[in-house]
Amino acid sequence: MWEQVGQALNHSMTRMLSQLASLLPGMAALVVALLVSALVAWVVSAIVRRSLIGIDFDRRVAQWGLPALAEWSPSNSPVRLVARALAWTVMLIGFLIGLSAFDATLTSQLVSRLFGYLPNVLAAVVVLAAGSIIARFLARSVLIGAVNMNLHYARLLSAGLKWLVIVLAVAMALEHLGIGGDIIRLAFAILFGGIVLALALAVGLGSKELVSRSLDREASKTSGQNMREPVGHL
Amino acid sequence: MELDALPQPELERLEQLGNADLVIGILDSEHTAEAGAAIAAVRQALAQLSRVTRAVVVCNNGTQGSADSADSGDDRSLAVFSYSQSPAGPAGTRHQSMSSAYQHVFAVGGKLGVRAGGVIASDLRTLTPQWIHRLLQPVIDLAFDLVAPRYTRHKMEGLLNRSILSPLHRALYGVQLQNPMGPDFGLSGKLLQRILGQVAPRRRGGQVDLLGSIASTAAADGFQICESHLGARSQPPTDWQNLSSLLAEVLGPVFLEIERQVAFWQGIRGSKPVPQFGAPEAVSDDGGTVDVQPMIESFQLGTRDLQDVWGLILPPTTLLELRKLSRLAPAQFRMPDELWVRIVYDFALGHRLQAISRDHLLRSITPLYLGWIASFGLEVETAGSAEREARMERLCKEYEVNKSYLVSRWRWPDRFNP
Repeated sequence: MWEQVGQALNHSMTRMLSQLASLLPGMAALVVALLVSALVAWVVSAIVRRSLIGIDFDRRVAQWGLPALAEWSPSNSPVRLVARALAWTVMLIGFLIGLSAFDATLTSQLVSRLFGYLPNVLAAVVVLAAGSIIARFLARSVLIGAVNMNLHYARLLSAGLKWLVIVLAVAMALEHLGIGGDIIRLAFAILFGGIVLALALAVGLGSKELVSRSLDREASKTSGQNMREPVGHL
Repeated sequence: MELDALPQPELERLEQLGNADLVIGILDSEHTAEAGAAIAAVRQALAQLSRVTRAVVVCNNGTQGSADSADSGDDRSLAVFSYSQSPAGPAGTRHQSMSSAYQHVFAVGGKLGVRAGGVIASDLRTLTPQWIHRLLQPVIDLAFDLVAPRYTRHKMEGLLNRSILSPLHRALYGVQLQNPMGPDFGLSGKLLQRILGQVAPRRRGGQVDLLGSIASTAAADGFQICESHLGARSQPPTDWQNLSSLLAEVLGPVFLEIERQVAFWQGIRGSKPVPQFGAPEAVSDDGGTVDVQPMIESFQLGTRDLQDVWGLILPPTTLLELRKLSRLAPAQFRMPDELWVRIVYDFALGHRLQAISRDHLLRSITPLYLGWIASFGLEVETAGSAEREARMERLCKEYEVNKSYLVSRWRWPDRFNP
């Protein structure tokens, strides 16, 4: 009986070792693929970085009205962002090549799923980028307009609008990614509805004073029209 | 507006006219009732001009529908050519429609091959035959190419001209003009054709503003320039709520012109006065008092809230000085000339670099401009006319002294920023 146990253990050990041995070339291939891809990624990143610095990419991005890109970039440099994104893409490709050394079917399934999801990711990125640009533009417009109208809560107004647009963009991006589903939609509806309701209440409750102030201003303007306007600009 | 855009009857009318010595644009569309009086004033002014046999008056009567154009009674030397101004679009401003009307007058003048042209865009209620005569006579009899207006101003009038337009024009183009953007001008046919020639290719790039480029083109292309004293000019009351729109409308074309003329102005040092015609009217010191407190508050609010926006346009040292200024008590509030001049130059550069949207940039100067008005108002509160002129001369000199700053920043924009 002990002989049979020993044989069984021997067999299982042999099977285990042979399976491990069969994995070794794949693992070695994965390590080599990662090392090579890291090297290629470094080279690609260096070339791209140098080329982009050569054409003054950071300043051009600012000129194109994409300051948000600089804000999200490492060290506030879109050049670094592009170089790093390319490097990580090369690393990902290397990893997938290494993975296919183990099981080609698994990799092809992974790749096809990844590519199937890619349009959603791209759409989400575009929505986020557009949302960020629009949010900044509107926030700046409101800030400058409100300051020129002497509103003391100009920054609050501007920040509120900015975050409203960003929240809307994030909700749309998550919808594209298929994350959260109805919860995101519901949460956004509650949040947005709440803000509108709060604004309506604020305007409704505060409008009495606002209207009377406005009438006072108009009245004083009318009475002041008889006086000579002492300031002219042109 | 181009001639092609005119209705057919108006084009035919122009064809019938053939040619003329003079074209005069009367562009005050807000006071159409005075147009008849204005044409009578033109007739009287023309009677004093010896070498004009045929003149055409282009009236911007502001009405829709077909144009009413007819020879004026039995006087065949004067043709009155009214045209209907097309309605401004939703984003169209008074300044844009005025610029379009200028183009129209110039196009009519170009078509008729005139020797001289004049544009009256001020309030028609202040228009006199003398006014028109002073704008046209130097062109017709003395061979000047551009007659710029010189108005009689009270101490708080013409502030945008005093603070930016006039000294900036003087420092950049080397010509001392009180009102480089008119709006009333006398021009030679030669200059009129040159401006028309410049407008045609630039139209493809979008809206063209003629007002910003008349005086600079004359200076850059070596035309003969002079000024005429026209007397007091009535202005519409200040709309403080839309001051930022006014600044954007006026400064935008000026900054664009700076970009266009960069090769010329970088080589100019100092400035020269131009010949002046007519006698200046005496100015009473009774200009009313201005409450500068709200302006200082606007400046302080801007300094507090617009740091992020100004930080994209102004260097850190300027921002620091503005913060210090905002902490001063109202009685001590004085904006140093050097600081103001550098701010204007930095905004011109920011406009060129498009660090932020140009509209945002132009509107964000409003609190700074109000700060300058407050400072100027406090300085000249008790000053007489001569003292005010001396004060303005100091500011103009400061613009000239600091021109090297603009040239340096224009050539190496990143040098002053960390």
